[in-house]
Amino acid sequence: MIAPRWRKALRDLSERPLRTALAVGAMAAGVFGVGMILTSWSILTRELKTTYSDTRPASAILVLDGSDVSDALVDAVRHMPGVRDAEARPVIGGRLRVGPDQWVPLTLFVVHDFRDVRLDRFTADAGANAPAKDEVLIERSSLSVARSAIGDRVIVRTSDGNERALRIAGTVHAAGLAPGWMEHGVTGFVSARSVLRTGARAESAQLRILVAGDRLDERHIREVASRVSDSLAASGRKVTRVEVPTPGRHPHAAQMDTFLLLLGTFGALTFALSAVLVANMIHALLTEQVRQAGVMKTLGASTRQIAALYLGQVLLLALAALAIGIPLGLMAGRAYAAFCASMLNATIRDATPPFWIFASEAAAGILIPLLVALGPVVHASRISIHEAFSNDAGRRPFGTRAFDRWLARRAWLSRPLMLSLRATFHRRGRLVLTVATLAVGGGAFIAALNVSAAWTRTLAADAAARRFDVQAVFPRPYPIGDVARALGSVPDVVHAEYWTEAGASMANPAVVGEPRVSLTGPPLDSKLLVLPLIAGRWLKPGDRDVAVINQSVASRDPSLRVGGDIPLRVNGTVVRWRIVGLVKELAPHAAVYAPSQTILRATGQSPDRTRSARIVTRRHDVAGQVAASKAIERALESSGIDVSGIQALSDARKSFSDHLVIIKSALMFAALLVVLVGGLGLTTTLTLNVFERTREIGILSAIGATPRTIAGDVLFEGLVIAGLSWVAAVLVAIPITFALDAATGQMFIQSPLDFFLSPAAVAAWLLLVLVLAALSSFIPARRSARLAVREALAYE
Amino acid sequence: MISLQGLSKTYDTPAGAFLALRNIDLQIDAGDFVAIVGRSGSGKSTLLNMVGGIDHPSSGSLTVGGAAIQSLTHNQLALWRGRTVGFIFQFFQLLPTLTVAENVMLPMDFCGTRPARERHPRAMELLERVALADQANKLPSALSGGQQQRVAIARALANDPPIILADEPTGNLDTESSVAMFALFAELAAEGKTLLVVTHDREAAQSVSRTVTIVDGCVA
Repeated sequence: MIAPRWRKALRDLSERPLRTALAVGAMAAGVFGVGMILTSWSILTRELKTTYSDTRPASAILVLDGSDVSDALVDAVRHMPGVRDAEARPVIGGRLRVGPDQWVPLTLFVVHDFRDVRLDRFTADAGANAPAKDEVLIERSSLSVARSAIGDRVIVRTSDGNERALRIAGTVHAAGLAPGWMEHGVTGFVSARSVLRTGARAESAQLRILVAGDRLDERHIREVASRVSDSLAASGRKVTRVEVPTPGRHPHAAQMDTFLLLLGTFGALTFALSAVLVANMIHALLTEQVRQAGVMKTLGASTRQIAALYLGQVLLLALAALAIGIPLGLMAGRAYAAFCASMLNATIRDATPPFWIFASEAAAGILIPLLVALGPVVHASRISIHEAFSNDAGRRPFGTRAFDRWLARRAWLSRPLMLSLRATFHRRGRLVLTVATLAVGGGAFIAALNVSAAWTRTLAADAAARRFDVQAVFPRPYPIGDVARALGSVPDVVHAEYWTEAGASMANPAVVGEPRVSLTGPPLDSKLLVLPLIAGRWLKPGDRDVAVINQSVASRDPSLRVGGDIPLRVNGTVVRWRIVGLVKELAPHAAVYAPSQTILRATGQSPDRTRSARIVTRRHDVAGQVAASKAIERALESSGIDVSGIQALSDARKSFSDHLVIIKSALMFAALLVVLVGGLGLTTTLTLNVFERTREIGILSAIGATPRTIAGDVLFEGLVIAGLSWVAAVLVAIPITFALDAATGQMFIQSPLDFFLSPAAVAAWLLLVLVLAALSSFIPARRSARLAVREALAYE
Repeated sequence: MISLQGLSKTYDTPAGAFLALRNIDLQIDAGDFVAIVGRSGSGKSTLLNMVGGIDHPSSGSLTVGGAAIQSLTHNQLALWRGRTVGFIFQFFQLLPTLTVAENVMLPMDFCGTRPARERHPRAMELLERVALADQANKLPSALSGGQQQRVAIARALANDPPIILADEPTGNLDTESSVAMFALFAELAAEGKTLLVVTHDREAAQSVSRTVTIVDGCVA
């Protein structure tokens, strides 16, 4: 038989099903939020890591002079000291036709033996496992970019101008590659006997190696790679370039990091939110119990017995919340992890979160409510019987604080409204908790939308900085006169510029691996590029041997300063240019801008030839840019100019915004979660506030207030709380936004985003809290107002 | 049984210090049935609260049933109260989510005065005495005021305390119930319990053995 006091504990909960449901709901929402974030976070970090490492990513890629790498050479490299494994993987560059005069970039890897892929592995996804000589396997995430299906024949034009039709024999999944839909390019795999290889002018001979020893040590990898280069040189094969991908890092690791950071931050915020919410809830539940605690004391209950009684109730609520929150959080977390994995071209093979997730959810879901309940429980159980029986148990009477007296003098408000306001401010502890709950929730919501808006603005600013519509790139330099004549024949073309372009590497010995940078020399009076400056100035007429670097260059070599020099290795020789400016660019590639003459002198290129054209078209909208691209393609082709790529700026912009999808999804997801938890919080606290005022409502009815006036008053109180919380939410959002702008910007584009307080986010939250406040105070208020006066006065 | 010497109580209010009881000397013997009367605000309830250990005197000494209750700790006081004093309030103060029988069992539960299996029979025995055994499984809200107050009496007797304190026990009852209530009190006094009853009900107060009148915080 259960002791009467425990029966009281149980029945108190079952007698007020709505209130109990609200309390359990609020706690469950917290458990759900935290559980969902922890689940997706833990699954993703584990699965992304293993999917990537399971591909056996190459430590280094050696680009060799000449054509294919023979099996004998690969075998020799495999036996070199420090080399664990090696594989020849020549790369064919080109384009794939997706429509009349419309092409997308294509990268094809030549695989010597599809049954023995040793490095940068991929797995069969659908269709054939190995392509015949006129077939290709497409990486699954780029099939949509190719606008084709398995079995289709596609036209491929290699960079030497050869055109071939290939049949798509199947798809593969290469988890180590960035998703094609995000890159706006197609990746495929062909066999060594592919028809594309005849002539092989478009092919770059590449040898991939995996080092023995520490595979994550970049210096070690470079040492091994340079030893391999030396011995290849000794045997007559020159290595023109060594690429070392950041060891252990997926190409989109920055996206993942940013995304996981956001997930973690909002997880912590949801956690804080649910803790405050639970505190508020328990505070409300116990306020009602103060008098009963007093009665129990007169019956001989000790402080400990009363505390145990209420903590027992909290424990029951917490257990119920866990029972609901854990499975829901698990389901949602798995679904979200699957979505994110698809964004990163990864597969989740094991969707079981580690056990510690459940353990910590359970621990937090039980401990947090008990901890936050401790204060109010101790207060309720230690209160003296005398206090418990006095009317406004445990509160300082209204009028004992300066603020109350100030409020009491505001005679311009109608009397019932005044009563609401005073009631609101009288329950100060509750008010603070309610406002805090909503401020955390609203702050997180607004911050999520702010950061999302900051990314959109960064994207827009970067797009606005590039004032051309189409960029054409050629596989070899062509005479500028020829290109200009071809473009001049296209009516859509308004203006074209031919910038000097070259490659170089950073020559500061302190920087590991001499990272590659692009050199770009726009005409000094060009109006087509107006990049936002972080420091210094842009290039101006009369400049010589100066450079403007982007933040990506600066982040690779922290010693670079405006006013200092940047050492660059151009065609084997080191040049030093004075840095006059630092600009912000969205694309994470390292770029150095210098006067065209300066670049020409360093590279020895001819000033009359160009490898690219930046074109302003008549129309600047997407359709206009696409139409112009097609016309330009035709014009160049008929003039005998090979094109390795034509990109409308709108497409480049789309590609970049596709890279942000996962970050924005994390932010939207966080905002939704916070709305869910915060909204529930608002609803529960306001509803409980009204429950607490039932007796007061009875008095008001007794002295003639109509249900309408009462409901109006309570509504007003709800709106005042909502308004206050909104102001607090905006204030809370500011530091969160700053921190996330800085962190996500730094991770993704090596530069903090510009702070932006989104008016839409601020307005949306105001609307949301007002609507929720109205609903959650009006409904219980109407109920209270309809209670008979006697019932209301007797309400315990 | 109850001894008050030079007992005073001062409350701090926003309007300044308020002297609720001044220098009270009072002796009450075991088996006394005492009515405490006086106007509203004269200090009757304060006096009762002091005796029951609900409130602490500001000065003076107070001994109840041999215990100097000022020297008891919070928890000792709770246990002492549960075993020594039975309270009856004007508004009954039954716990709304417990049945009548459970309300009566609650003091035994808190004080551990009887083995668990004896508590229900004991509660039924007490309810029998107040003629409410047939209502044992109802919730208090289903009972009339007079019935609820009888439950409160049964609850006050649960731990068989030597002292019963009642604060306006008939304030919310009709005349018939009030008369029955005082008859019950008289019975208890006859059994040797000490009763202190704060009341306005002059007629009902006829049955007491002694009347103490309080005027402006002093024994008149």
